[in-house]
Amino acid sequence: MSDTPDNAVPVLDIAGYTLDYLMPTGTLRALEEIDLTIARGEVMGLVGESGSGKSTLAFAIMRDLAGNAREQAGTIRLSGTDLRGLSTGEFARFRGRRIGMVFQDPGTALNPTMTLGTQVAETLVRHHGLDWRAAWKRGTGMLERVGLKTPAAMMARYPHEVSGGEKQRVAIATAFACQPECILFDEPTTALDIITARSILDLFRELQAETGVASLYISHDLALVSEIAHRVAVIHRGRIVEEEPADEVFRAPREDYTKQLIASVPRPDRPLTPPLADATGETPLLLELDGVGISYGRPSILKRLFGRSERVVGARDVSFAVRPGEILGLVGESGSGKSTIARALVGLNAFSGQVRFAGRTVAGPRDMDAGYRRNVQIIFQHPDSSLNPRQRVEEILARSLILAGTRDRREIAATIGRLLEDVALPVDFRRRFPHQLSGGEKQRVAIARAFASRPRLVICDEITSALDVSIQAQIVRLLLDLRERYGTAYLFITHDLNLVRQIAHRLVVMYRGDVVETAPVETIATVAAHAYTRELLGAVPTPVG
Amino acid sequence: MTDLLRRLARSPQGAIGGVIVVFVFLLAAFGPWLAPADPEAFNYTARFEGPGASFLLGTDQFGRDLFSRMLSGAPATIFMAVLSTLLGTLLGAFIGTASAYLGGRADEVIMRVVDAVMAIPSLLFALLIVTALGASSVNAFIAIGIAFAPGMSRVARSVALTVRKQDYVNAAIARGERASYIIAREMMPNVVAPIVVEATIRVAFAVMLLATLSFLGLGAQPPSAEWGLMVSESRDYLFRNPWMMIWPGLAIAMVAIGFNLLGDGLRDALNPKT
Amino acid sequence: MSLLYLVKRTGYILFTLLIVSVLVFFITQALPADAAQMLLGENATEDALAAVRERLGLDEPIPVQFWAWFSGLLAGDFGISLRTGLPVADMMFPALARSLLLAGFALLVLIVVAIPMGVLAALRRGKATDVGVSLLSYVGVSLPEFVTATLAVLVLASPEVGLFPSTGYVPLTEDFWDGLHHLALPVLTVSVILIAHVSRMVRSELVDVLHTDYIRAARLKGLSRRRVLWRHAVPNALLPTVTVIALDIGYLLGGIIVVEEIFAFPGIGRQLIVAIESRDLPAIQAGALIMAATYALANFLADLTYALLDRRIQYD
Repeated sequence: MSDTPDNAVPVLDIAGYTLDYLMPTGTLRALEEIDLTIARGEVMGLVGESGSGKSTLAFAIMRDLAGNAREQAGTIRLSGTDLRGLSTGEFARFRGRRIGMVFQDPGTALNPTMTLGTQVAETLVRHHGLDWRAAWKRGTGMLERVGLKTPAAMMARYPHEVSGGEKQRVAIATAFACQPECILFDEPTTALDIITARSILDLFRELQAETGVASLYISHDLALVSEIAHRVAVIHRGRIVEEEPADEVFRAPREDYTKQLIASVPRPDRPLTPPLADATGETPLLLELDGVGISYGRPSILKRLFGRSERVVGARDVSFAVRPGEILGLVGESGSGKSTIARALVGLNAFSGQVRFAGRTVAGPRDMDAGYRRNVQIIFQHPDSSLNPRQRVEEILARSLILAGTRDRREIAATIGRLLEDVALPVDFRRRFPHQLSGGEKQRVAIARAFASRPRLVICDEITSALDVSIQAQIVRLLLDLRERYGTAYLFITHDLNLVRQIAHRLVVMYRGDVVETAPVETIATVAAHAYTRELLGAVPTPVG
Repeated sequence: MTDLLRRLARSPQGAIGGVIVVFVFLLAAFGPWLAPADPEAFNYTARFEGPGASFLLGTDQFGRDLFSRMLSGAPATIFMAVLSTLLGTLLGAFIGTASAYLGGRADEVIMRVVDAVMAIPSLLFALLIVTALGASSVNAFIAIGIAFAPGMSRVARSVALTVRKQDYVNAAIARGERASYIIAREMMPNVVAPIVVEATIRVAFAVMLLATLSFLGLGAQPPSAEWGLMVSESRDYLFRNPWMMIWPGLAIAMVAIGFNLLGDGLRDALNPKT
Repeated sequence: MSLLYLVKRTGYILFTLLIVSVLVFFITQALPADAAQMLLGENATEDALAAVRERLGLDEPIPVQFWAWFSGLLAGDFGISLRTGLPVADMMFPALARSLLLAGFALLVLIVVAIPMGVLAALRRGKATDVGVSLLSYVGVSLPEFVTATLAVLVLASPEVGLFPSTGYVPLTEDFWDGLHHLALPVLTVSVILIAHVSRMVRSELVDVLHTDYIRAARLKGLSRRRVLWRHAVPNALLPTVTVIALDIGYLLGGIIVVEEIFAFPGIGRQLIVAIESRDLPAIQAGALIMAATYALANFLADLTYALLDRRIQYD
């Protein structure tokens, strides 16, 4: 967004704001000397990784800090009034009326036991002194304004009865309902699927332009922020390290941290993987799926009696192939069936149809012998759940070696050391428990475990989506290094299109259990045949500049 | 082990509960030998005495020394409670884990039966079993063990199912581990901790139940100094010497508080993530 | 809530009752007592005993006896008491009604006391009030009913104090205040453990709810503290409590057995103890079955309440 806001008088003006947390071990500086202004009609993007202090800043502005927070210095002014000088009672009249907030996950930010209507209308009752009937009417109008199709019916529904995107629209309607001067958006699209996220972004832009509300848009996604904000502030360890007009952040970052962050942002126009040596298909395929279908559930007798016996279909008629050493990206939104396929390939789901690995037919989990399992490994999304909390790193790694037939203790110890080196972890981490590692380190252990048996194919199921961009970039680099060294093929499952276009050779797009597109990465943007693929590609924010 | 103790001592519940339980176990183990007088010796010249120099806690309707009776009655209440909880936990853990492991229809049938059995209140269930087997402390122990099994099997099953869904178990299946390894090395260490916590809290409940059975005349029989029985015998002389009721009542409450606190403390200490 | 759900739940209840009756029947079959001997006394002749056995079907195989008993149950016939010679149903159901009165008052006290206690502790988390409530509840859950009851008698019903009568029962229809007076100690006694347990539940649930995003969102919308607490937080915290209270009803029924015995309250628990002491088989069977049925029904009602309160649950 490049048109500059018309008004230069700041609505939100933060100056020299410093905040500490009291910890049992001492004080922890959470925010230091924060200076930030947002004018009327302006969108300020605030970008940072987890733990950078970006959410703490939002809650400091909203005057909703934890009991152990200590404000050391600075002012937070809203249209001239220093919010720090207000009593809790006084500020309660500001919240919702003059300054609002939209949360990250609409699934948890709406009260599950109250109707959407009540939750929209109660703000109007509180701040505009409307009676319930009038508030309800105005609320219905707001729901219509945020693009909900049947606003009157929507008002009467409960959060669980509507989709994630609809919930976020309701949350946005609530925030805009009292026409505040300033709204904080805390990652409002992160919990949503790509296409839904795009429609929420469009809505945000439209409402923002229409109302001229001063907006603080918080996100971890530099590409997204650079696209919708006028100015971008980068926050790192509680300090704002850089502030730039949005279109200059990518083009001319000044600070080292920003440069490093930008280098970590996946860009489809800068491929990281060398093309496959033999892309013509001369060598035999490594893995072939031919008409694979998976369905869940066991209808109960009662359900059958009442005629509700349909099984849930996870995937149907899926066909694709992976060549030796190839990185095949499997993309789709949640519920598209991509993880279902991954689980079936390692014997966690029964399936119909045919799977061939290195020319040998695998009809089901029973056919997956030791050789197959050694050669096909999986890495899960959440290392917290995939590493047994009561086993040390060495025990976790040793198991794969023992299964592969290594019995000699010294040999196992030596191999564990080599594996840890392979994933760039200190060798003395072998004695650690998973909870003594960071998220990125845990995922490295999971990678080491997968590579212990020298597999020919590793299935990566959203393995970086729980990690920060810079950690993600390191993990991706590690995977590419390992592939270089061992010639491993990857089935790389993700919802992050920018990332997968940067590293994969070919893409398979899934939608509601079906494969809708298979194409080489280089051409998918230009020749995508399926409407869904085109929509998906169009919805992804790409780095500006 | 020392690590666990250190973590336990960090929470006030764990520390206080641990101290009480250790004290209680010492009392149960050595109480009968520490008793200064014969707990069954009548003393008609000193009936219904209050606490004093010659009888530390007073005497009962036969002039028996309450302090000595309390000490000699300790094992009857405490060890029986621990043993019956152990019995119930083992039975329950077996049923629950088996049910979770079998899954599908078998799991559904087993759990429906367990739910049905749980419709009988524990005390009533124990009463029925004791009635059938005959009133004695051994039968009370068996009855409580059986009465605890359905509840424990529910706990064990739900813990086992949660663990079963974790990706580390999936990872083990994916790399081709045998079922025995998965159960023993991947699942058990994560299943045991919550069951130990639940069992510890249930010891408190078992102490109370056991004492209640004795109180109703269906557990320990006179002249035993089981604490529940002592309270029962005190009722006819409640206003002549309230100490006859207060000491055993307090003791039962203290043991139960100790195990309740220890259970809550263990819950925090056994959580690997804190 | 669908018809399917109701059918399913009714099925569960019937299944529960079937299992319970099988259990109760076979456990009581093991009783070391001869019903014929009990009926006729010590001096009965062998012939007379045999005749009675044949009349009661006691010489039939056990499954046949079970079926005779069970089909009687289905027809509402609980058998004849061996002790009094009266129909068991006539003894048990009036007693059940009195016990339900006791249980109802206990539940009322429980809800009125435990919920505010839990809410207060959660709001003053970590402060003296919270620690106090927490200590009280540890003591509460650790006192068996018979100890509470004797303590209550000692303190409130001693000859010197005499605030409440220590035994007996007066129907509320006969003399309302005297009836309440007689109910006071039994109700107090069975409530203590439940209050301790439920207030702890309410506290921990509310502490969790107060940390959710939707409470933060409600607060940041500028709603009043009162609305955030009572309209947004408390209903969500009480939902799981409904289930806990339902499960506690099982415990309450167990407690009632002890309390009725101690306070000579003529409810079903006392009937059951008398039946057990006199080895009155049909009465034991009926008493146990009625208690289990009450519990199963209470749980069913709690589930329905839950379903009405929590719209998230899809009953299919």
